[in-house]
Amino acid sequence: MSGKGLQGKVALVTGARGGIGRAICARFAAEGAAVFAGDLAGVPGDAPDGIEDLALDVTREDSVAAAMDAIAAAHGRLDVLVNAAGVEIEGTIEQTALDDWHRVFAINVTGTFLVCKLALPLLRTAGGGSIVNFGSYDGFIADPSLAAYCATKGAVHALTRAMACDHGPENIRVNAVCPGYIDTPMLQSFFGAAGDIESLKAEVCRVHPMRRYGTPEDVAGLVNWLAGDEARYASGQLWVLDGGLTAQAQQMRL
Amino acid sequence: MTRLAGKSALVTGGRRGIGRAIVESFLAEGAAVMACGRGDRPDGLDPAVRWATADISNGAAVDALHRSVADAFGSLDILVNNAGVQLEKTVVDSTDADWESVMGTNARGVFLTCRRFIPLMAESGGGSIINIGSISGFHADPSMALYNASKGLVHALTRSIAVDHGRDGIRCNAICPGWIMTDMAAQAFAQAADPTAAEADAVARHAAGRLGRPRDVAAVAVWLASDEAAFVTGQTHIVDGGLVAASPIDPRLF
Repeated sequence: MSGKGLQGKVALVTGARGGIGRAICARFAAEGAAVFAGDLAGVPGDAPDGIEDLALDVTREDSVAAAMDAIAAAHGRLDVLVNAAGVEIEGTIEQTALDDWHRVFAINVTGTFLVCKLALPLLRTAGGGSIVNFGSYDGFIADPSLAAYCATKGAVHALTRAMACDHGPENIRVNAVCPGYIDTPMLQSFFGAAGDIESLKAEVCRVHPMRRYGTPEDVAGLVNWLAGDEARYASGQLWVLDGGLTAQAQQMRL
Repeated sequence: MTRLAGKSALVTGGRRGIGRAIVESFLAEGAAVMACGRGDRPDGLDPAVRWATADISNGAAVDALHRSVADAFGSLDILVNNAGVQLEKTVVDSTDADWESVMGTNARGVFLTCRRFIPLMAESGGGSIINIGSISGFHADPSMALYNASKGLVHALTRSIAVDHGRDGIRCNAICPGWIMTDMAAQAFAQAADPTAAEADAVARHAAGRLGRPRDVAAVAVWLASDEAAFVTGQTHIVDGGLVAASPIDPRLF
């Protein structure tokens, strides 16, 4: 499932060592892009051809600036930015310490803001480009005891629309992908807190119209499309990718 | 309790359930109320309520209903399109007669009454139209294809009427109930393998900790009908005890 749709493009993926970030980097490389895989230093990379590891802490302006300098030095431009860095913390707002609230916002929201802000000059140099942010279906509806995470994703959705309005005239498209349940370590952790993962898995699949979870490769497929020129008129939208989960009303057990 | 004093109201599908609760609430708030339905005047209906036997899916019947309203009130301030039918079938299983039944009442019925009564309402300076949509117009209930579609139509028609006739002083809103404990819902639980467990599961999915009651919907209808809502138009108001705000996957329910 790969062409060369991103041939000649330079891409930066943040959170590149997470489950979804890895799949996006691999897909982008298969599509012919020069890929910078940004993640915290010390997170082991296994970069195949076309992927260059880049130490990046999205919460720190100096780190983001250094990453942009590295991209500028290598290519002088950036065509595609994917803000996949994100963390999830569990708890109601009463169970959420202020420091934890600040941390999840620093990564999910401020990180998206900072990387976009400092990437804009390189995107302009390329004559425009595509930014793909990570929202979530949790930005629309609430999972229990996930209050801070839900709030950050709502913020990313609004930021996505705002940036699409502000930078559309510069030929910079801004979209968000909003995954539902994707089989990643983050999801395993969420279920792990609730009990035995295996016992939950069949139940969760049953609730989905497609009768399965999403995979990181499913997400990479959408991100790849949004990144490429096929999506040249797509901007300012929140693309829900959830196997039909939220198209349906709640499934009562009748 | 005279928030609707001096106003005249027509409520379709006023025999039972949500429609009946709206009729009684409007009456308690001081409105002059006519209710209609396909059968004869229901037992126990307050003598102050005028009853018209009318099938609103039929144009001639709506014409006759219009004459009854004009004779009784001389004008009309509030129109509630509540009459609706439900059918549990997929698209493949639905016959032409099913389409005629569901779309005839839920969709064409709303069109026919609005077309007939908007001029009468406009003559006296406008009024409030309240259509009963459904959360099923946003999210699909399984095996309810035509019903879901009919409610989506009601939501879109609500916006169109608000836009087209706002300058005539007409406000048009939809109330979108979730699970309201009516005869229809009671039947669904009764048919479950374990009715007690089924109802407990349904309740657990509601932030409000209970299912809705017809009175919950009527309370919103009173507000939308009243001058308190003078600037509220073109909206679809979900009244569901928090059901669609929550993720359909809650590990506590597995």
